[in-house]
Amino acid sequence: MEMVGVEDISYSLGPEANIIDGVSFDAKKDEFVSVIGPSGCGKSTLLRIIAGLVRPTGGKIIYMGKSIQGTSKGISFVFQDFALLPWLTNLENVKLGCSMMEKMGEEEKNKKASIMLDKMGLSGFEHSFPNVLSGGMKQRVGIARALVSDPRVLLMDEPFSSLDELTAETLRSDIVYHLKNKNLPVNSVIMVTHNVEEAVELSDKIVILSKKPSKVVAIKSIKLKRPRDKRSKEFLDMMDFVYATLAK
Amino acid sequence: MDFISLIGLIIILVVDTASSWLRMFAALAVSVVISVSVGIYAATHRKAERMILPIVDILQTLPILAFFPLVIAIIVIPFEGTYLSLGINLAVIFLIITSMIWNIIFGVYESIKTLPQEYSELSKLYGLTRLERLEKIYIPACMPRVVEQSVLSWSIGLFYLVTSEIFSTGSANYTVKIGIGSAIASPIITGNVISYALALVIFILFVVVTRLFFFKPWEEYATRYNKHVEEKTSEIKRPSYVQEMGEFGTKLMKRLGSERLVRIGSRLTRSRKGGRRISGYADAGKDYDELYRLVKYGIIAVIILVAAGVVALRPYLIGYEAMVLQALVFSFARVWLTFAISLSIGIPVCVYLIFLTRHNSKYLMFFQILSSIPATILLPAIANALRGTPAYGEVVALIVFVLSSIWYIIFSTMNVAKTLQPNILEVKNIFGVKGWEAWKKIYFKAIIPGLITGGITAVAAEWNASIVAESFTVGGTIVSHVGMGLGELLDASLAANNLVLMFVALINLTVMIILLNTFVWKRLYRRVSRIYS
Repeated sequence: MEMVGVEDISYSLGPEANIIDGVSFDAKKDEFVSVIGPSGCGKSTLLRIIAGLVRPTGGKIIYMGKSIQGTSKGISFVFQDFALLPWLTNLENVKLGCSMMEKMGEEEKNKKASIMLDKMGLSGFEHSFPNVLSGGMKQRVGIARALVSDPRVLLMDEPFSSLDELTAETLRSDIVYHLKNKNLPVNSVIMVTHNVEEAVELSDKIVILSKKPSKVVAIKSIKLKRPRDKRSKEFLDMMDFVYATLAK
Repeated sequence: MDFISLIGLIIILVVDTASSWLRMFAALAVSVVISVSVGIYAATHRKAERMILPIVDILQTLPILAFFPLVIAIIVIPFEGTYLSLGINLAVIFLIITSMIWNIIFGVYESIKTLPQEYSELSKLYGLTRLERLEKIYIPACMPRVVEQSVLSWSIGLFYLVTSEIFSTGSANYTVKIGIGSAIASPIITGNVISYALALVIFILFVVVTRLFFFKPWEEYATRYNKHVEEKTSEIKRPSYVQEMGEFGTKLMKRLGSERLVRIGSRLTRSRKGGRRISGYADAGKDYDELYRLVKYGIIAVIILVAAGVVALRPYLIGYEAMVLQALVFSFARVWLTFAISLSIGIPVCVYLIFLTRHNSKYLMFFQILSSIPATILLPAIANALRGTPAYGEVVALIVFVLSSIWYIIFSTMNVAKTLQPNILEVKNIFGVKGWEAWKKIYFKAIIPGLITGGITAVAAEWNASIVAESFTVGGTIVSHVGMGLGELLDASLAANNLVLMFVALINLTVMIILLNTFVWKRLYRRVSRIYS
């Protein structure tokens, strides 16, 4: 069953400035999709179009069978540079994720946010400010904020690229663990990345984009069993395929 | 008025305004040179930094305008006789310079301090001489801030120019003869409305032309040195801090003209997750905080001791001191009341400009032009319009105070807003934060640092403006005045030629402002910046 459908999306900034040129793919239920492409090909913009933050110049986004415009309650977002508000405590930052849930009372929001922070391993940091956290911890708050509203679709914009490799690895495995054990309510994930290994490690499907104006060059399914062995032949072959496609 | 005399009037007014503008440009040129030198020197020499910053900090809070009569007396003395008007012009230019340099110095200082460490390492590796470093690294690096602060300094300088020129007409001997001040002053005295209106229109025209044909091209020229790439729509993510540094660095190093440098530079910035960042003098490193505080408190202590000593030696001064303190209380109340009014207007305006509209560059231009019109120039019109109403002097003073301070609040907040993460609006949109929650959790809290730094400068500006706000004298005639206040006292003592009283008032004012800044504003700023950094 299709969760999110990207149908022939185009985006341009002006007559000679086409960034995205007719991109189509979908993310089905329980599917982890990576979008990968060369720098400047507009993949971050594409993600923002799906999120409803940017209006495309052509095409439409389908969510749960309906064409949508603007932001939706069930679609959440994790930012590359965390985007935490420095003047709110970590708990308050996570609570922001509940803003669209009008029927929820303050007490319930506090509880949900606390539980989510705990799930991300940050209990004890509820009432401190983001500036005491390391990069990895900040991104955990960002993820907690994105998940606290029980979204169906999680969009992630290069979520690990601002972190050092060790922290990123830890965070990746945590996410894989949670997704595998269905600890998180999320059904589908669309992640933008430029890290091929990460894409092959995490996704069920990789959408490979060309350089700007970007089109879909290939959509590759990955059927390897999780946890994936990064040194297995299948894994490396898959990486080679992606690299080769990107190089063309 | 017939056509010929109208043309004649316009020509005279244009000449008057043009000569005032020449003074402004002279002041700006000198100010930029001084500020860039001092700023770069302070940012690159640790020992000098610890002395220069506290001194500049104190000097910038001094109510310069209050010292104007003193300045005239000092500078003009060697220029008696035929060169008198040259002396007066120099005095006015000096005054304008002292109003312009402080924020440019801090802008330069901050832009150099936030340069990544790699640049000084590069200079050492490639053996760049001091001149080369200056030419290829420091000056381009501080250019954008110099332009940005010059626009603000221009508005500030205009205020001082107009006010000091008009003020000087009060003393028959020390008038600035050709300038906007006398152009405004004579119609006030003769009651010539057409002349006044024309002078105002020509003034505004000059302001707009300067903004469009001098500052705008300069701004556009300086953007090539910008670290940030402004995207057309605010929703497209701007490059992260690291990427921006990288882009800036590669551009800079291409200018240095070496392929090897470009490759090394991009490798260096790519592997760094975040450059070293020191965000300005208020929260700079602890290691020179000790000396900084020592110098600051030292200066304050010296002033108080000297003043106390003088008062002890001349008992009659105690009477003056009592007068001054009384007047100070009244002015204090006025200043804080009008500051509250300015805040209540400025906050919604700023929130609108920063968060709720995408056309902020157009609005900013509009506000910049609006703010360039000094309150002083409108005083005659305001005073005239309100003449006869109860508490007329107080209302005039209140309006002038608000007009003086509101621009500082708006500009400072807008400037700080530039450093806000671009994702804030995206966060607001994606998580659907609306209404009162958005105001409480996002808008208001985001602008607090800007309100504080704006507040310091706004209140200082109000104190400066008190000279004209509380008692407006033109050509010897008092146009409007309040019952009791510090500005009023200063003017009265000038008129009575009582330099001792003026001096006592000035010292009290200076000490009060320094104490307020050190123990109220800076503390507030330090506490806030710990959360916001």
